[in-house]
Amino acid sequence: MPIVTVRGLTREYQQGAVTVKALNGVDLEIEEGEFTALMGPSGSGKTTLLNQIGALDEPTSGTVVIDGKDLTTLSSAQLSDLRLQRLGFIFQSYNLIPVLSAFENAEFVLMLRGTDAAERRRRVMETLADVGLTGMEHRRPSELSGGQQQRVAVARAIAGRPALILADEPTANLDSTTGHELIALMKGLNEQHKVTFVFATHDPKVMEAARRVVELEDGKIARDTRK
Amino acid sequence: MKILMLAARNLFRNTRRTLITLMAITFGLAMIHFTINLQTGQYHEMITKGISTLAGHVVVSAAGYRDDPDPDRVLTGADAVAEALATALPDAIIAPRIFLGGLLNSPTSSVGVALTGLDPEAEAKVQDIVDKIREGRWLDDDVHGIVIGEKMAESLSVGLGDKLVYMGQHGDATEMTSQLFRVRGIFRTGSAELDGFAAFSNLEAARSLFGAGDIAHMVTVHLPEASGTAAALELARTALADTPGIEILSWRQALPEITAMIQLDRASGDVVLIILGIIVSMGVLNTVLMSALERTREFGVMMAIGMKPLQLARVILLEGMVLGILGSLLGIGAGLLLTWPAIAWGIDYSEYLGGESVDSGGVVVSTIFFARINPLRMGIYTLGAVVFTTLAALYPAIHVARLRPVDAMKHV
Repeated sequence: MPIVTVRGLTREYQQGAVTVKALNGVDLEIEEGEFTALMGPSGSGKTTLLNQIGALDEPTSGTVVIDGKDLTTLSSAQLSDLRLQRLGFIFQSYNLIPVLSAFENAEFVLMLRGTDAAERRRRVMETLADVGLTGMEHRRPSELSGGQQQRVAVARAIAGRPALILADEPTANLDSTTGHELIALMKGLNEQHKVTFVFATHDPKVMEAARRVVELEDGKIARDTRK
Repeated sequence: MKILMLAARNLFRNTRRTLITLMAITFGLAMIHFTINLQTGQYHEMITKGISTLAGHVVVSAAGYRDDPDPDRVLTGADAVAEALATALPDAIIAPRIFLGGLLNSPTSSVGVALTGLDPEAEAKVQDIVDKIREGRWLDDDVHGIVIGEKMAESLSVGLGDKLVYMGQHGDATEMTSQLFRVRGIFRTGSAELDGFAAFSNLEAARSLFGAGDIAHMVTVHLPEASGTAAALELARTALADTPGIEILSWRQALPEITAMIQLDRASGDVVLIILGIIVSMGVLNTVLMSALERTREFGVMMAIGMKPLQLARVILLEGMVLGILGSLLGIGAGLLLTWPAIAWGIDYSEYLGGESVDSGGVVVSTIFFARINPLRMGIYTLGAVVFTTLAALYPAIHVARLRPVDAMKHV
């Protein structure tokens, strides 16, 4: 069974008197363990689709089913719970909580889940080691480089072992070398832990690493290529 | 616990803004504590002086005397009442009093007088008028001794040892009765009413003017501590259960004007203090709201990764509460510091109030106001400050809880 099933998804926005169709009848299935890139020019609907899959926004019509659950039928609290238990997010500008250390940021999701302190510590230390941040646990985001901050964001996303990680332009603010390292890190996690990744990206490096590339144009899927 | 830590750390993202808000809470609460303690000091003086001069902690009088203090409504068998009270309350001072109104005449002049007949020895321990004697001495067993105010002495043109004749019509007498006195002491309280119209004589002299032996208008009971009033009242009621035609009152019942005045003053003071609290809360609201609005994008991210709106609202409420607790603790310290000089030296209002004493609710009190720590009211207002500051964070908390993650994350 696919981890994500999108059927007839449309999302319209009102811009003054004009109705903009950000998504226009998207159908998509993503299987568990995929490493998928959503590509397309600005305004093609990549981030909008990612937000729909991430249960962050409601569709105008159509359905998004994750783990067999139709998101349109879930309450706000149930959506929060789904995001907490099953999804992980990585953002372009890292979006770490500035008053928390690297350890505490990575720990945040586990804390919200109510995982006990000893288990939290074990998993966070393990995850920080996976992303190459051993020894930097107590640093605040302001004391870390962009690449290190994005690694913390990855650690936060994977510490809870989610079924699906959604990454919106995760390499856009990183230099080429750091971008490569981060992609290799996520690819490794995908292969090692079978974590499903879906990227919204312009970055050719991500496209190169992805095993499936879904190209969007004007809110529709123009091409869906598996390597 | 982690949420509380997050709230506390959030507060100090903008240290300067938080410190300014903390200062506002601290200063506001310090002013509130200072005012409460100064009020408490004044009320304490009014109550203590009222009890010692106008009543006692417990007062026994003829039934109906409080509601209708007719001079003819006397307590007969006053000595037996006093004796029973002394037995029931061995630590208390028992002081019978008679109140007379008449004319005091010197060879050259006459003035109206409110003459109190009392037990000199007992009253010396409770009446602070004894300390106000500027010339001569307090009363003793001499039934002809009288202590008068400075202004009265001037009006009558008399000094120590001079003769005065009291004239009045009391009890069942159909004619005026009179009594010769000699000025034994002259007091000055600073109160024009007291210094000009009050006089004190031996209880027996007053009784003879009344034409009766064993009477009083009041038998007053003075306790070492006002806190013992309720227990003493019960003991007095038990001891005098078989005495007919009397009423036994606590000082609160005997001095309803003072109690009412304090309640009214406290209530109007509370309104001002609550307004001050609301103004301070507005400052807290501003700080927490600004801080929340600045973090809209961050809240979007937190919701995206699974934080529930109510959990976010809790963080904001905790920020208000932590601010309130810190400000309140500092406010207690600052309030005590501010109150301390008013406890040690008092605040001198004599220039503004025109003398060293002033009549307040029928009680002559000093115009140097001394503060007195009131832990209960300080505690209530401190708790109130924490509640107010937490409530001030309610609007930002509701605002944050209503955010949609996708919209919040677009916020710059």
